[in-house]
Amino acid sequence: MSSLEQRLHELGRELAFPPEPDLAPRVRERVRGRPFPWRAVAIAFAVVVLAVAVAFAVPPARSAILRWFHLGGASVERVETLPRAKERSQASQLGRPLPLADAERRIGFDLILPPLDRKPARAYVIGDSIATVLLRSHGKTVLLSEFPSFGEDALKKLAVNGTVIEPVDVRGKPGLWIQGAPHVLTWMDRETGYRERPILVKGNVLLWLRSGRTLRLESRLSKPQALGLARSIR
Amino acid sequence: MVDRPLDEAELVERARRGDLEAWETLVRTYQGMAFRTAYVLAGNAADAEEAAQDGFVKAHRALGRFRRGAALKPWLLRIVANEARNRRRSAARRERLTLRAAAQDRPGDAVPSPEAALLARESHERLLAAVERLSEEHRDAVACRYFLDLSEEETAAALGIRKGTVKSRLSRALERLRETLEEEA
Repeated sequence: MSSLEQRLHELGRELAFPPEPDLAPRVRERVRGRPFPWRAVAIAFAVVVLAVAVAFAVPPARSAILRWFHLGGASVERVETLPRAKERSQASQLGRPLPLADAERRIGFDLILPPLDRKPARAYVIGDSIATVLLRSHGKTVLLSEFPSFGEDALKKLAVNGTVIEPVDVRGKPGLWIQGAPHVLTWMDRETGYRERPILVKGNVLLWLRSGRTLRLESRLSKPQALGLARSIR
Repeated sequence: MVDRPLDEAELVERARRGDLEAWETLVRTYQGMAFRTAYVLAGNAADAEEAAQDGFVKAHRALGRFRRGAALKPWLLRIVANEARNRRRSAARRERLTLRAAAQDRPGDAVPSPEAALLARESHERLLAAVERLSEEHRDAVACRYFLDLSEEETAAALGIRKGTVKSRLSRALERLRETLEEEA
């Protein structure tokens, strides 16, 4: 160890950290009292509506997380600054490409797709959690991802204030439309445990619930175009 | 007969089966480390407390997916640090790290002469100021590795980067610190 490293260690021992809080009682209370994670659709919708109402009614909380929205296995948080994240193009870093049937076996369910002349040949799978197919709509590439709502933060988005987040309705199911400044997407892997890989996303995103899973469209489509595509999925 | 204390793997297993006291024991074991890590990354005591608390709650929810036999500390650090980074304040609004008051000697410390204590303090203040002037990613790496005494692997978990990246960031950070300190000498 160099003398500078030694000095840094010594400096660390001289720092005045704030007093350590006793977190255990509050953590215990929250863990004991947490709601069943797979809430009914109606309750989820009510939560989204309430969150929107609160977000516009109160000044920012003391936390740097300013506002949050929750939907099925996804949550969207407004933050002061985005964490560092790797930017991805639409078609890269989607996971491992597999023939569609193999991908569906791996994630444990058949993908719900819009009416297509021909099903996509392959899907991209991350862990055993999220499957994504590439589609074309209105002359643009669209990513459709599907994942079971296995945890409240299975997928998380972090957005800054320039981003529009608004509730929408997709065939009677609650959804969120996210448009504007780039946002960061992270997700949890069911197989390997808590792991988040932040990715910077620049497209518009529509999230909605359907049959116990969360669906996500990422594209350059306008809101009416994205909603039209989502509503065509039966 | 005195019961032997439960080891970490047993506590994790119990917590996984719903034993809240076991989880509470683990929280108390790691809350200091979690809070300090969150403080360094978030830059604010209130946010750090919130991040650490949220991290422990989320870790409990994810316990079913925690790999049996794996080390708990890096896994917890990853979760807590992720919460803290999401709450990160801009540099201008960050609470700056400061030195303990001179009177707060640690138990067992030899008492230095007033002159030696003053010189040591000035040296620490110069070094701390140089660390605060590093880029965010270099400062974080230095704070986790040296101030919090995390291993390279734990630092990698806390910062969400590879161990090799920790090594290269630390190497560049030390180089910058040496340059700064030499310029000021």
